[in-house]
Amino acid sequence: MDALLALTVANMKSFVRDRAALFWTMAFPVIFVVLFGTLFGGGGTADYRVGWVDLDHTPASEQLEQAFSRLGVLTLTTTDQAGGLASARTGKLDAVIVVPAGYGAAAAAAGTGVARGVGSGGAAAGLGGSGGGAAGGGARPVAALALTLYTDLSHTTDAQTLEQIVSGVTTGVNQALSGRPPLLSVQTRPIQGTAAVTGATYYVPSILAMALMQLGVFAAIPLVQQREKLILKRIGATPLPRWTLVGSNVLLRLVIAAGQTIIILAIGIVGFKVQVTGSWVLIAGIVALGALMFTSLGYVIASFTRTEEAANGVTQVVQVLMMFLSGIFFPIDLMPDWMKSVATLLPLTYLGDALRQTMVGGSPFVPLTVGLAILSGWLVVCLGISARYFRWQ
Amino acid sequence: MSGSPAPTDAVVACRDLRKRYGTLEAVAGVSFEVHPGEVFGLLGPNGAGKTTTIEILEGIRESDGGEVRVLGLDPRREARQIKARIGVQLQTASLYPYLTVGELIDLFGMFFPRRLPLQRMLDALELNDKRDAQTRTLSGGQQQRLSVALALVNDPELVFLDEPTTGLDPAARRSLWDVIRDLRAQGKSVLLTTHYMEEAEVLCDRLAIMDHGQLLELGTVDELVSRRFHERAVHFSDIAGLEDPQMRGFPGVKRVAHEDGEVLLYTADVPATIGAVLAAADALAAPPHDLSVRRASLEDVFLDLTGHALRD
Repeated sequence: MDALLALTVANMKSFVRDRAALFWTMAFPVIFVVLFGTLFGGGGTADYRVGWVDLDHTPASEQLEQAFSRLGVLTLTTTDQAGGLASARTGKLDAVIVVPAGYGAAAAAAGTGVARGVGSGGAAAGLGGSGGGAAGGGARPVAALALTLYTDLSHTTDAQTLEQIVSGVTTGVNQALSGRPPLLSVQTRPIQGTAAVTGATYYVPSILAMALMQLGVFAAIPLVQQREKLILKRIGATPLPRWTLVGSNVLLRLVIAAGQTIIILAIGIVGFKVQVTGSWVLIAGIVALGALMFTSLGYVIASFTRTEEAANGVTQVVQVLMMFLSGIFFPIDLMPDWMKSVATLLPLTYLGDALRQTMVGGSPFVPLTVGLAILSGWLVVCLGISARYFRWQ
Repeated sequence: MSGSPAPTDAVVACRDLRKRYGTLEAVAGVSFEVHPGEVFGLLGPNGAGKTTTIEILEGIRESDGGEVRVLGLDPRREARQIKARIGVQLQTASLYPYLTVGELIDLFGMFFPRRLPLQRMLDALELNDKRDAQTRTLSGGQQQRLSVALALVNDPELVFLDEPTTGLDPAARRSLWDVIRDLRAQGKSVLLTTHYMEEAEVLCDRLAIMDHGQLLELGTVDELVSRRFHERAVHFSDIAGLEDPQMRGFPGVKRVAHEDGEVLLYTADVPATIGAVLAAADALAAPPHDLSVRRASLEDVFLDLTGHALRD
């Protein structure tokens, strides 16, 4: 037991003193969290550059412009139609909004005189629709005027978001002009029951799963190194039982896994408002199972590679394939069928799924017990293969 | 001494030891014994099977055949007990580059049921001022001393040293020789491999010459040499007027040879031959320069045994 502890401490000292290894193990997941969190963090304020083409030039159209500006997510640039479209094609603008001539007149007809803009109620003018104000994307009844929104379809997500933003504003305007309170409105609530579910909620468990996968798989490299440098052989020439050597390596991985988990979660919680809803004990258990399972996969890799270079190559391939085919970053449901069937085979799929379910109450790909059973199955198989094929020298 | 029946207390005894890698018979029937308190050398070129032999004895490699006893135990079944009582130094082992010398020695101590205090190891191997240095910063000689220190942490009865001085400069080599002599003075038995003739001659009480997996000859250095080379060579700088036919008639001389301006008289009777040389030189009024006697060396023995020189 003393020897196990001493060896684990020695491993940890080596790990901490090897700055490069320390940096890559600890900093890489952090970089990922920050990057993904910033990109998909939800709470973030994506800013769209939008060309504003006003063919109406009335106070009403100016109020409409203010209504868009007030949203805070659009940066409006006044332009003419041809120039705006040209800028959009060269990527200088994300979209162009064209206010049709006659908007002011229509608004005046519909409202009490001059449209008072979004949010301030106009007097009811009994409009069933005939004098409808600004109309959103398309189908609007009778004599509706249409705002035209030019978007770049090659940026699908942006285009959809912009369409929704514009629809939202026009709906508000319509309502204001009609003077009626909305009958139905939509209120979005997370099924997780937490106040704020951001994109980071989805990605933080994924990144944790990825980090654990890398940590485990990369265990192959020091192992092969130690074998190549005859360290395993040298220790094999002492009475130290071999399980102690394996045990200390595994302990080291578990300690690092704990460190990574704490760092990743801390950044997620503090930086990106991820709310952990599940049981910490269960999370710790899943982290440990994941670290063990992937470390045993690392031993499998070390069993079939002789040189450090080979181990490096195989490890890279394995981790990249796992990362992209296992649905930790793309929801499995969005994958093409062939990819889906690969993903259902990979253990990382289930580790990510289990962590997501437990940490943030993500919707399950498979029930937790099934996921954990599959991970345990992988662990047992990898242990069996390593025990059979791992060579100490 | 060699060839005599084994003392029952031999610390290493192997008979007809065999190990095969694929089609290569790395060890092809090797038998020898190491006696308590002696430094025993396995001398041979790289690939002779020395390392394989020693690793089987250390219990880190399995033999394919033959009888082996180390400290009276069987490495196949009692490796753990053997490992607790022996010291092992492997040919190349740069261990844990980020640990300090002190940490590494302490760590290895933890692997054994009994261990010597760190300070004693540092003193014995002259590593005191490197105690807090990470091992990756050590010189080759220091690395080697550290790896010997690791072989001694458990105060072993029997120490295996595999090419302990390979790659070291002469000063570092000599300092390691002192360490090995010190082990012998402490009554420990040492089994070392080397491909340095000088090392074998200087250090080993007895040695075995190995080549191609076989043990060709075994004994003390004197025995090995005199068994093959009965004559010694009396040699001196050429003396004008002293011709071969005359020298061939000197008492004891078997053969006359010339080499780099030197005369070599191979003789079975060194004093008589030297007397004749001095008398003849005196008669010619030309005192012999650089007169000396050389016996055949291990190198000559090796060459004679294997037909090739001991080089790697």
